[in-house]
Amino acid sequence: MKRIVPGLLLAVASLRCHAAVYYITVAGLGGEPDYEQRFTANAKDLDKVYHGAAAAHVVTLTGNDATRAKLTEALNDVTRNAKPEDDVVLILIGHGSFDGEEYKFNLVGPDLSATELATLLDKIPAKRQLVVNTTSASGGSVVALQHPGRAVITATKTGTEKNATVFARYWLQAMQDPAADTDKSGSVSAMEAFVYADRKTADFYSSQKRLATEHPVFEDTGKGEAVRTIAQGSREGALLSTLTVLRLDGGNAAIANDPAHQALLAKKEELERKIDQLKYEKAAMEPGEYKQALTAALLELAKVQQEMEK
Amino acid sequence: MRYLLLALALSLTSHAATWQECRGLEKHGKDATACYTQLTHTSDPALRAEGFWGLENYQQANAEFRDAVASPSSGAAVRVRWGLLFHERFNNPEAVNLFNEALAKDPNYAPAFYGLALVSADGFDGRAPQYIAKALTLDPKSAESRELAADMAFENSDFDTAIKEADQAIALAPDALDAMAIHAALELLNDRSPDAWLAKITAINPKYGEGYARIGYHMVQNRRYADGVSYYRKAVEVQPRLWSAHAQLGINLMRLGQQDEPEKELQLAYDNGYRDAATVNSLRLLDSYKNFQTFTDDTTILKLNKKEAELLQPYFSAELHRAMAAYEKKYQMKLKGPVQLEVYPDHEDFAVRTMGMPGLGALGVTFGQVVAMDSPSGRKPGEFHWASTLRHELSHVYVLSATNHRVPRWFTEGLAVHEETQASPEWGDRVTPEILIAIRDKKLLPVAELDRGFIYPQYPAQVIVSYFQGGSICDYIGERWGEGKLLEIVHAYAKLTPTPEVIQTTLGVSAEQFDKDYMTWLDKQLGEVVRNFDPWRKQLTELAQHAKSKDYAFVLANGEKVKALYPQYIGDANAYQMIADAQLAGGNKQAAAKVLVEYEKMGGHEPATLKQLATLEAEAGDKAAAAATLDRLNYVYPTGDEELHRRLGTLFLDLKSYDGAVREYSAVVALHPIDVAGAQYNLAQAYMAKGDRAKAEEAVLAALEAAPGYRPAQTLLLQLHNGGAPAQPKTN
Repeated sequence: MKRIVPGLLLAVASLRCHAAVYYITVAGLGGEPDYEQRFTANAKDLDKVYHGAAAAHVVTLTGNDATRAKLTEALNDVTRNAKPEDDVVLILIGHGSFDGEEYKFNLVGPDLSATELATLLDKIPAKRQLVVNTTSASGGSVVALQHPGRAVITATKTGTEKNATVFARYWLQAMQDPAADTDKSGSVSAMEAFVYADRKTADFYSSQKRLATEHPVFEDTGKGEAVRTIAQGSREGALLSTLTVLRLDGGNAAIANDPAHQALLAKKEELERKIDQLKYEKAAMEPGEYKQALTAALLELAKVQQEMEK
Repeated sequence: MRYLLLALALSLTSHAATWQECRGLEKHGKDATACYTQLTHTSDPALRAEGFWGLENYQQANAEFRDAVASPSSGAAVRVRWGLLFHERFNNPEAVNLFNEALAKDPNYAPAFYGLALVSADGFDGRAPQYIAKALTLDPKSAESRELAADMAFENSDFDTAIKEADQAIALAPDALDAMAIHAALELLNDRSPDAWLAKITAINPKYGEGYARIGYHMVQNRRYADGVSYYRKAVEVQPRLWSAHAQLGINLMRLGQQDEPEKELQLAYDNGYRDAATVNSLRLLDSYKNFQTFTDDTTILKLNKKEAELLQPYFSAELHRAMAAYEKKYQMKLKGPVQLEVYPDHEDFAVRTMGMPGLGALGVTFGQVVAMDSPSGRKPGEFHWASTLRHELSHVYVLSATNHRVPRWFTEGLAVHEETQASPEWGDRVTPEILIAIRDKKLLPVAELDRGFIYPQYPAQVIVSYFQGGSICDYIGERWGEGKLLEIVHAYAKLTPTPEVIQTTLGVSAEQFDKDYMTWLDKQLGEVVRNFDPWRKQLTELAQHAKSKDYAFVLANGEKVKALYPQYIGDANAYQMIADAQLAGGNKQAAAKVLVEYEKMGGHEPATLKQLATLEAEAGDKAAAAATLDRLNYVYPTGDEELHRRLGTLFLDLKSYDGAVREYSAVVALHPIDVAGAQYNLAQAYMAKGDRAKAEEAVLAALEAAPGYRPAQTLLLQLHNGGAPAQPKTN
């Protein structure tokens, strides 16, 4: 899902082609065998997805390894190794609690509060971080975790939504289902994954005729309230849209970096802008006129892309 | 004459009226305003309450009753009267509380039982007959209770009892107008003139609209909707301020597919303070019609909620026409006008449509040629088979039309149940545990009395059991005498022939003999399963425990035996699924598929299970079987399931069933998927394969509009514009 103009996106993609992504996934304390099994399975499946996508830095903590000490150690390890241009993706699965002031992630042994987690994350030099807190009451962690350059997604809108959540299941599904890549860019952005998981979560409650007890939100400006959708003219969502959580096809960095293709890239960029502009003006255009102009632009873009891949 | 003299006396003297006298004046069509006003000036709060009630000042009446009941000396009578006020003003829970309070004061207070019967009868609660019987035991001379007993017996199609009770009421009180209305309703139901009884009512009270309304009500309960409407019209004509009749007129006009006049009538009732749940909800429903999209052709009017119209229209329209074609052939008739089918995604809206109608938590209901039903999205996935429900309801449409709405409930319901499995042996409901228990406990009713199993159930599962019994009687007739006999029975009922006579003339056996023969047949069908029921229940529980603890060896060793005890059981925790899971755990996909095919053929339609079977079939290389399995789910839960339509579209494309592929990929698009580009591209591929290049271009442009850089879609666009041959379809 593109939230910035194509030229800027391309520039970001070019700059980031050598950046690494550090994935940390934690399945917290289940409490009951059913939950334990479900949380662990989700975390292990995510681990499999990351390794399947040839990710280099993957740490997954489940069962007895899901302790505050091990999580701290994993985050400190990222602090030691990550560079500013790298990305960090932290996924918390399990139960959380919120007492009105402090959110805590339930772990084996002592829990970890959102404030303590934020302190650990603050030390990591990577300038772009994503925390996906899928636990119950996770909405209570937003304020403590929000920070410039850090996008926070939570399964619940507040700390008072305390029932066990299903959001993690659908976040995982977003990593497994090519349909989550809605702009067909060959990668799933954090925003695409959020939209996918949010929709599937809502569908779950609706189809089961159950009152929804979780309402996923995100906050990626480092300040302000977490939101459910991007409001017109809002800055929310910009970071999530450019944060890639999974690359499906290895990307096209080689093409992007090839000087021989620079002219074609510029042409492609121009056409993409033109298409965006057409879509923006669609309501004001005659349908026939719109279709004709769109077809022409899309055909030209298809030819440019075909040329680039020769 | 007595009441005329009383009215005169009230106006000339300071005689202290009783509330019964005031009600009497009203009942005889006299102006009781002065009488009620006089009551409001008495020192007794209970009498003041009656006065205000009569003057339609319900708030004040309520306040006065509260004062009256606060007095330590207040007894059961005032509580019952207050309860009746609550009942009249749509608050049955409070009414019941007060009737129970009255019984706490006096356990043998007959009017309290009358009140409880009145409330229970409102909801077709099986306790209603017990309450009224108790009321009559305690006070056999209560004309009011006799009238209610007559009314309930009429609802229960026990017409002999209804007339007996009505006659007793008239003997006790010559002005028992409701009893006379019962007589008139029965005449009408038997296509005889009700005029003699209507004249008696008019002679006592020419403005007694309630009598006409009562007749209208019974016509509606007996599926004579047009007659019902005409009597509600008469009710409001003679008693224009009878707001309940205005509301019912509106509701029943809605049932006949109208909108403007119902809205006027309902609004009139509402504006005059008649705001019961049916009136309020019906007005809301009328308002919600703006959210519906209507698809009309020569023979059908299909109303679907806009949010799912695009998705459901192809499936519902096709099935509606298919069912109508089948019935036209079978019943050798064409309907006079179009069938209107309304599909409600919100079960509450559907419930408003059925309000005041007896039956189990219905999925569909038919009013003449108007059918209203739940949308599959209105229920949990797999909870009901919408196509089977539609087939059921349409059977009513044809049977009601063929008999001019003169058919007993058991037969129209039984035939509709029978038709579900005629459409496909996998459709319809399988015999459930409560039905087996009813058979075991010999609770089935004789055919001549089967109608009584539908209205006031004598045990909790009786309505379900009666549906089953009606259906299986039709199965039996079809099997022994041929399907043609069922049509003969339809025609016999059209002539208002009573059931015993219908059985005798069409089947050549007495109703008593028929019952015996049917039970023998049923025993052959289900006797063994009925006898197995208790061991099955015990062994299934044991199997489920082992399945839960993943003791697959036990499940495989015992599963088949448990399944064989009651093969029709396809509900929660069924043996089929447990065996399949155990086979899969052991890696035996072929055996798992085999048992799931058995489940499917038995009518199992739980979406996750059938999807699992389709996966196994596809993995085994049998794409046709996989497609057929998934296609079954379109009749169960086509809503909210992108994956189903995407998978089925891909299978159809692979099988070169391009129309099917287009339908399924169009369904994905109609679901407004997250992946618009992927959905539109798949649709474009299907159109391309079908040879419809214009539609393919439309879809591929939609895909690229959503994701301009989508390479496969770009390739297809170039191919379309370069005039190239269709590439090998690749699905997303």
